[in-house]
Amino acid sequence: MEKRAIRITAIVVSFAFLFVPASGLAQQAQPGTMLPYDKLPDWSGVWQMQGGTVFDRSTQTGQGGATGIGVREHPPYNAEWEAIYQKNLALRDKGRFPDVISNCGVPAGFPRVFNLPDPYEFVVRPEQVWILTENGPNVMRIYTDGRKHLDDQWETYTGDSVGHWEGSTLVFTTVALKGSRDGDSILDRTGLVLSDKARATSRLQKIDANTIEVVMTIEDSKALTKPWVVTKQFRKMPAGTRMYDYGCAENNRNPVDESTGKTLVLDPSGKPLN
Amino acid sequence: MRPVCKSMMAGMALAALILVIQPALAHHSGVEFDSNKTIEITGTIKEFQFKNPHTWIQVMVDDGKGQQVEWSLEWGAPNSLGRQGIRPSTFPPGAKVTMRLRPMRNGSPAGAFVGAKFADGKTVGRWE
Repeated sequence: MEKRAIRITAIVVSFAFLFVPASGLAQQAQPGTMLPYDKLPDWSGVWQMQGGTVFDRSTQTGQGGATGIGVREHPPYNAEWEAIYQKNLALRDKGRFPDVISNCGVPAGFPRVFNLPDPYEFVVRPEQVWILTENGPNVMRIYTDGRKHLDDQWETYTGDSVGHWEGSTLVFTTVALKGSRDGDSILDRTGLVLSDKARATSRLQKIDANTIEVVMTIEDSKALTKPWVVTKQFRKMPAGTRMYDYGCAENNRNPVDESTGKTLVLDPSGKPLN
Repeated sequence: MRPVCKSMMAGMALAALILVIQPALAHHSGVEFDSNKTIEITGTIKEFQFKNPHTWIQVMVDDGKGQQVEWSLEWGAPNSLGRQGIRPSTFPPGAKVTMRLRPMRNGSPAGAFVGAKFADGKTVGRWE
């Protein structure tokens, strides 16, 4: 009888170990804070970001898009980061500030994930919200199962996002962003960059039947003098709109010359034309 | 046609035009093309590369000296164009066509696609 009890205990303990995740992430979830499906908003459909890919159009000067001379935003940079931005702008004006996503395979990262051309989907589930972008493609996950940010989370392009619902508004914080630390993450082609100290609180909601809006309040103790509030909107596309593969490396005839920063134009055989 | 309908039609046409033009800048800046200049070339479609991240239309053009020169015209992403009704068959190999493009600044035989007109009068892209 005693041996049988020991065997049962051993089996139970063994199975228990199978369900303990190595990272311990699931242990931080706090079940019970999730909303059921019938309490969640309907964000189904396919959506298109409004306006050009200048990150903060409300502070834009000049005309045109992110690549034209004289067009820039005015983030509340400190002197050191304003100088970095001015240097990037000068390179851009010479066609020598390459867009890192032109290399293919690099995520857009946060907050640029809200500043992309091509369609979006916003998938709402009780435990997570997924933002899917055709361009890239990119996936941003926002955990809504009650978990907290890790104390020792390492920095990535898109960072770590956790949130909760305030009515039909998703409020979430994003931390652990690597920013421009490694030279492969920007906010737009004007050369906007943030540091690895950036973090944000965002409010994502459907403001009418055809519009989803995100308001991001970005803080960066290394680069900004005050919080930077940016709003992006997404318009619902016609019912039945399809999304497709975005195989960036499938036929990339515009790679970046690493030595000069110039975006190349290749002929069909792969020979540069510029 | 009532004025409101005309306005609506004009708005829809403008929106369609913007959609056709916009994808060209999705993957890279386009600074290598001269956006202030439009040229025309006439030739024969060799290939329509309907692939990501951008489509390319290859056109063989007589240089007037008895030589055939291959031109490369870059257009939007196949996904965006596909949603607007463009297909790989839109530019069939062998078709005679006149193309409008924003040429490369250095004079190389390439550019950003603007519009096309086929021998039968059919047009694609911006051709007004």
